[in-house]
Amino acid sequence: MSSLKRVQQWATFARIWHIYNAAWQNPFHSSELIKKYLMGMYKPIYHPMNDCGDHVIVINSKEIALPGDEWKKRVYFHHTGYPGGATWTLAWELHQKDPTMIMKKAVYNSMDGNLQRRYTMQRLHIFPDENVPKEFLGNVTNEIKQLRPMPKRLDCYPEKDVKEFPKVIDYPEDYVIR
Amino acid sequence: MVFTTALNFVRSRGPDEFWRKRKIFKLAAHFIGRRRNCYSIAIRNVHRALVYATKGRQLKKEDMANLWETRVRAGCEQHDIPYDTFKEGLTRCDILLNRKVLSELACWEPYTFKALTDVARRRAIDDGLKGATSSNDIDRILTRGSLNKT
Repeated sequence: MSSLKRVQQWATFARIWHIYNAAWQNPFHSSELIKKYLMGMYKPIYHPMNDCGDHVIVINSKEIALPGDEWKKRVYFHHTGYPGGATWTLAWELHQKDPTMIMKKAVYNSMDGNLQRRYTMQRLHIFPDENVPKEFLGNVTNEIKQLRPMPKRLDCYPEKDVKEFPKVIDYPEDYVIR
Repeated sequence: MVFTTALNFVRSRGPDEFWRKRKIFKLAAHFIGRRRNCYSIAIRNVHRALVYATKGRQLKKEDMANLWETRVRAGCEQHDIPYDTFKEGLTRCDILLNRKVLSELACWEPYTFKALTDVARRRAIDDGLKGATSSNDIDRILTRGSLNKT
């Protein structure tokens, strides 16, 4: 095997690190996207028994957006195994306890239940905010595009830009801005 | 099951219990435990195994088709063209490759696959199919539609 071919093979089978910003994203739609990168299904060499999955770092999982009234309606079930050990936790309660759990469960449930699933999950790293360890960030070479673009809020613009933005009308003197 | 002599096969259908059971035990030879040694258990498991084998013949085809499609979709995504547009573009160019061949090209011959996506993209843009974005690579490709336009 020539050195070129050897390097080509390393490059083909190397694990890549992706980063995904989960702020204002639907976790259940995002999980389908993340799953594709975790399992390596975006590579033409994909095979279920071929270990070609990548690492994905999910940041800002605290800021995920559930659709509709799912914060109040979605229920997470857990059973300790003992009689009477069943608990039902609402999504907002679970999110208060652990802001990474909803994202983690969404990705876990999006994959088929087989022996590989738990090992695939080990390559998923979720962080509630942007504080990612340096040694993780140093590996990242790709950013996964967000499903929905994040609009910039008005209070995030500098005050100067807001004031200088062209206006269509001036408010009347006696107009009450609430 | 392999019969070395036709004589043994004729025997195995007959009333002789030994040869009748032997046919089943041969099919159960790779089972574990009493499944391979006790006839009444072996026959049950052989029947089950034959059912699995029958179903498996169809499942294997479906699994392979799914794998090919996953691979071709991955290849299309790398070259930024939707799968449906890619297939439609190739069909309109009379490039009638099936998913198996396309997946093998995507896996083993990435440059060939890229050329195919370029052809499909050129055709998609000329025919106004949705989802095809223009790039510099397709300027060197001519289709009948693009000749008519200029």
